[in-house]
Amino acid sequence: MTDRQQRIQTLYEISLSIGSKGTLAETADDALLGYLQKLNCSVGAIFHHRSAAEGADYETIATIPAVPESNNTLQAAFGALPDADRPLSEQLPISGRTEEGAHFCLLELPNFGVLAIGKHGGRVDEITRSALRPLNEKLAEACRSKLIETQHRIERNRFEAVFDAIPEPVVNTVIDDDGIERVKHVNTPFEETFGYSAAATHGRPIGALVTPVVTGGSGFEVAADEGDESETFATADSAADFLVRRVAVGGPEADEYIHLYVDISVHKQHQRELERYERLVENIPVGVYRTTPGPDGEFRLVNQGLVDILEADSASEFETLSVSELYADPTTREQFSDLLAEQGSVDGIELEFQTLKGNPIWVAVTGRAVEEDGETVFELALQDITERKERQQQLAVLNRVLRHNLRNAMNVIRGNTQLLSEAVGTQHHPQIDAIEQRVANLEQLSNKAGTMRSLFDQGREVTATVEMSDLLDELKADFQSSYPSACFRVEAFDPVSVQADVRLKMALLELIDNAVVHNTEPEPAVSVAVSPAESKPPDCWVDITITDNGPGIPPEEWQTIETGEETPLHHGTGLGLWLVYWTVSLLGGEIAMSTVESGSQIVITLPRATTEQPAN
Amino acid sequence: MTVTSTAVPGDNLQETLVSTASTEGVEGICLLAAPDEALLTDGFESTLQSLSVPVFGGIFPEIIHHGTNTDSGALVVGLSVAPHLTTVEGLSDPETAFRDTLDPTLPAAGYQTAFVFIDAYSEQIEQFIEALFRTYSVELNVIGGGAGTLSDERHPCLFTNDGLISDAAVIAAVPAPTTIGVNHGYTKIAGPFRVTDAEGSTLHSLDASPAFELYQDVIERHAGRTVTPENFFGVAKSYPFGISRLDGEQLVRDPFAVDDGSMSCFGTVPEGEFLSVLTGDADSLVAAAHTAADHATSGRVDPELLLFFDCISRVLYLEDDFDRELAAVTDHEKPVVGALTIGEIANDGAGHLDYFNKTAVVGAIQDV
Repeated sequence: MTDRQQRIQTLYEISLSIGSKGTLAETADDALLGYLQKLNCSVGAIFHHRSAAEGADYETIATIPAVPESNNTLQAAFGALPDADRPLSEQLPISGRTEEGAHFCLLELPNFGVLAIGKHGGRVDEITRSALRPLNEKLAEACRSKLIETQHRIERNRFEAVFDAIPEPVVNTVIDDDGIERVKHVNTPFEETFGYSAAATHGRPIGALVTPVVTGGSGFEVAADEGDESETFATADSAADFLVRRVAVGGPEADEYIHLYVDISVHKQHQRELERYERLVENIPVGVYRTTPGPDGEFRLVNQGLVDILEADSASEFETLSVSELYADPTTREQFSDLLAEQGSVDGIELEFQTLKGNPIWVAVTGRAVEEDGETVFELALQDITERKERQQQLAVLNRVLRHNLRNAMNVIRGNTQLLSEAVGTQHHPQIDAIEQRVANLEQLSNKAGTMRSLFDQGREVTATVEMSDLLDELKADFQSSYPSACFRVEAFDPVSVQADVRLKMALLELIDNAVVHNTEPEPAVSVAVSPAESKPPDCWVDITITDNGPGIPPEEWQTIETGEETPLHHGTGLGLWLVYWTVSLLGGEIAMSTVESGSQIVITLPRATTEQPAN
Repeated sequence: MTVTSTAVPGDNLQETLVSTASTEGVEGICLLAAPDEALLTDGFESTLQSLSVPVFGGIFPEIIHHGTNTDSGALVVGLSVAPHLTTVEGLSDPETAFRDTLDPTLPAAGYQTAFVFIDAYSEQIEQFIEALFRTYSVELNVIGGGAGTLSDERHPCLFTNDGLISDAAVIAAVPAPTTIGVNHGYTKIAGPFRVTDAEGSTLHSLDASPAFELYQDVIERHAGRTVTPENFFGVAKSYPFGISRLDGEQLVRDPFAVDDGSMSCFGTVPEGEFLSVLTGDADSLVAAAHTAADHATSGRVDPELLLFFDCISRVLYLEDDFDRELAAVTDHEKPVVGALTIGEIANDGAGHLDYFNKTAVVGAIQDV
C-alpha cells in the first residue's frame, strides 16, 4: 500500500470518529482520540477560540492526557497558541518541537478554534497536516453545532427553570398546521390549578383544557395578537377569575406562545366589595366627605349625599370651595377643626351651615382625623338635622306653653274659681269642684310634660345602676304615705341591680299610681316581683313585674303605645303610659302588658348591672 | 527488588508471599502465576488479604522465568517502591465510567510506569484501554496484559489485597522509569479491506462480502491452502488481521473462531475501519521479539530487570521455535520475568496506547 493510500485510509478512519456526541466536550474528546489513535500521536487538545467580542481567548474543550499541566509537549503547544486577537487563519498551522524531541502542531478548526496534536519519537508530516484540512473543517462544524446546541440547551434550561419557578399557571403552546393552538409544556401550578397532569396536557388544544365559565365556548380562539384579557375559567376546584397574558415566543409572527394565568379572584372580590361599598356611600342620604384641617379646609372627596344635602349641582363644585364657606359662621370652622385635630374624633357635633344655594341648614357631623401620606386628613359624615332642630324648637315652645303659660292660666282660673265658690253658694259647689278637679289634672299634665322633657334631656346614656331592693323600699314608703288604705307588697327576691338611674323610679311610681288611681276595688292592691328575665337571657336581664287587682289598662291605650302612633281618632288619655314606655326604652329595656286572673300585669325587662358600673 | 519463584503453588507460595512482604525494603509485590487450583482456595485468598504490603498480579496461561516458559508455579517479585494500586471493577459493564475510576494526577505525583493486568475475558477491554490513554496518554508507560486461562472454565484471575477477583483490571503505578518495546513481526499480505459489517469483536463482512469467504480467498491465493471451519484455528494463527495506523506497526487482531461466515477476533473490529490480512513466520516473529527487546534496552533506562509479556498465541504458533523468541529477549544479560498473556497492553512511550494481540512486549525497568 502506498503512503497516499494509507493516508486516505487513515483520514477516512479518523472521519468516523468525528460527529455529534452528547456534549461539546464529548464530541471534541472522541474526535481527538480518533486523531491520536490513527495518527499514532500521544497527546492532543482542542481549544475553542473566543473572539474579541467574547474576550479574545481560548477555552480548552478537551485534552489527552486529562491533566495536561505535567505534559511538556502539550504545554509547549499551549504556549504556541496564536494571538487570539488576530484571525487564526493568518497564523495557523504552527508546528514546534520540545527539548525532549517531541513534535507538535497546531491546526485551525475553522470558525471554532484550534486542534493541537503531538507525538514523541516522530512527527505528523506536512502532507498529512494538509490532508487533515477537510477533517478539521468537519470537526469544527461538529463542535460549532454542539456549541450552539449547548448554548441553546443552557438557554432552554434557564427558560425551563424560570418556567417552573413561576408560581402562577403557565403554559407553552404551539399552533399547528390547522391553526389549532396546542399545549407543549405546562408548569406545576398549571397542573394544580386546572387539574391536569403534564402528560395529559401534551398536544391537546389549550381551549379544551382552559375553558371559560361564562361564555361556555367550545374552544379558545387564537387571538390575533398578544395581550392581556380577564376571564373566568373552570379550575380543578370550581372556577376562578384570571388575568391572562399571552406572549408570542420569538416575535409577533411566531407560532409559539406563552400563556400566563394570574388568579385575580381575590382581587376581583375586593373590587366588587369596594364597588358595593362605594355605591352604598354614594347613595346613602348622609354626606360623606374628606377635608384637610385648618380654618378654611379643602374638600378632597365628597359623595352624592353631600352634594344633595348641600344643594350643589355636582361634586365638582366642591373642588373650588373651602369648607369654611359652608359654615353659617365661618369662624366656627376653625373651632371645629381644632377640636377634631385635638381629640382625634368627634361625634354628632351640631353645626349651622348654609347650602351652596344660601339656604340655612343644621347638620350633625361625626368624623375622625387620620394620618395619610404624612398629612392629617378629616374623614367625616354629615347628617341633615334641620328638621329635628326645628322640631326641638317647636317642643321647647310647646313645653314653655304647657309649663308656664298654661300653669299661669290655671292659677288664675283656680283663684277665680275660689272667688266664684264663695259668691254662688253651695248649690253650685259640684260644678265648682269639677272645675277645680280639671284644673288640678291640667297642672298634673303640665308637670308630666316637664318630667318628660327632663327624661329626654338625659338621653339614652345610662352609666349608673340601681339596687332593686333599695328602690322598692323607697317606693313602698312613698306608696304607704300616699295611699294608706291600699296594699303594697314586694315579693321576696335575691339581691339584684339593674342598669338604670332615677328615671326608673319615676316610671315605677307612675305605674303604681295608675294601679291605685284607676283601681275600682275597695282595697287596691299592688305587688312587685323581681326575677331573672324569662324572655331574654336570664344571666343578663332582669324582669320587674307589677301586678294589681284593678281593671287593667284599656286595650286602646296600650295599642296606642304598641303602635307608637297617636292620631286624632286613636289616642291615649294622658302622658303616664308614654312616660313609662319612653323611660324603659331610654334605659335600653322592654315593656309588656298582660291580663292575669287577679287583674293586670306589666313586666319591665332591664339589663342586669355589671360590676364595673357605679350605683345610682 | 527480589524475585522468588516457586514450582508448586500452595503452602509454599503463601509462605513465600508472607516472607517477601516482611522482607526489609520490600514495599509491594507483583505476583505472576500459572493456573493452579491452589490459587483458588480460601486459604490463599486469606493470605493475600493478610499481606502487609500492596500486592497485584494475575494468573496467566504460562509464566516466564529463568529463560524459560512454564505452565506451573509462580513468580513473586518484591518491589522496592510502593505501588499505587487502582482496582477497576465491572470491566464488562458498558455503563462503567472508567475515567472516573482513574486518578489523573498520578504522573504529576511522580509515577512513571503502570503495570496493568486485566481479566482477558471481560467485554469492555478496549473502552478501558481508551480511558487509560485519555487519562494518562504517555505520561505513564503502561505494560501488562490479559490474565486468565485457556480452559473453558472461567475463574477469578487477578490478585489484589482483597483477594482474587474477576471481570476487573488492576493498575499498579510505580515511580520507576521504563523503556518499552512493542513488536509482533507480522506483515501484510492482502488488503486493506473495509469493515462493512461488524458487531463488537465479530466480523460479518469485509468490502461487503462475507468475511470468511474473503478470508478464504486471500489464504488460498497466498498459500494455496483451503481454509475450512474445521481447520480454521490451525490456519488462522498464521494469518491474523491487522488494523493500520499511520506511521506505526499495525495492530494485530487475532481471529479465533468462524461461524456462519462471520469471524470472531480477540479485540473489537470497528465498522468502517480497514483491515489487512497479515502473516508471519518463525523468523519474523523472533526478530520482532528481538527488536522489542532491543528497543527496550536501548533507551535511557539502565534496567535491573526485563519484563516480558508475550502473547500465548505466539507460543502456539512458534511451538519449538518459541525458545528462540525467549532467547531473543533473555540474551540481553538482564533477568527476565513475565508471562504469556491473552492480549497485551502497552505503549512505547511515544505513540498511542493499545490493546494488542499476538505481540511481544518488553519493558526495561529501573529502580524497582
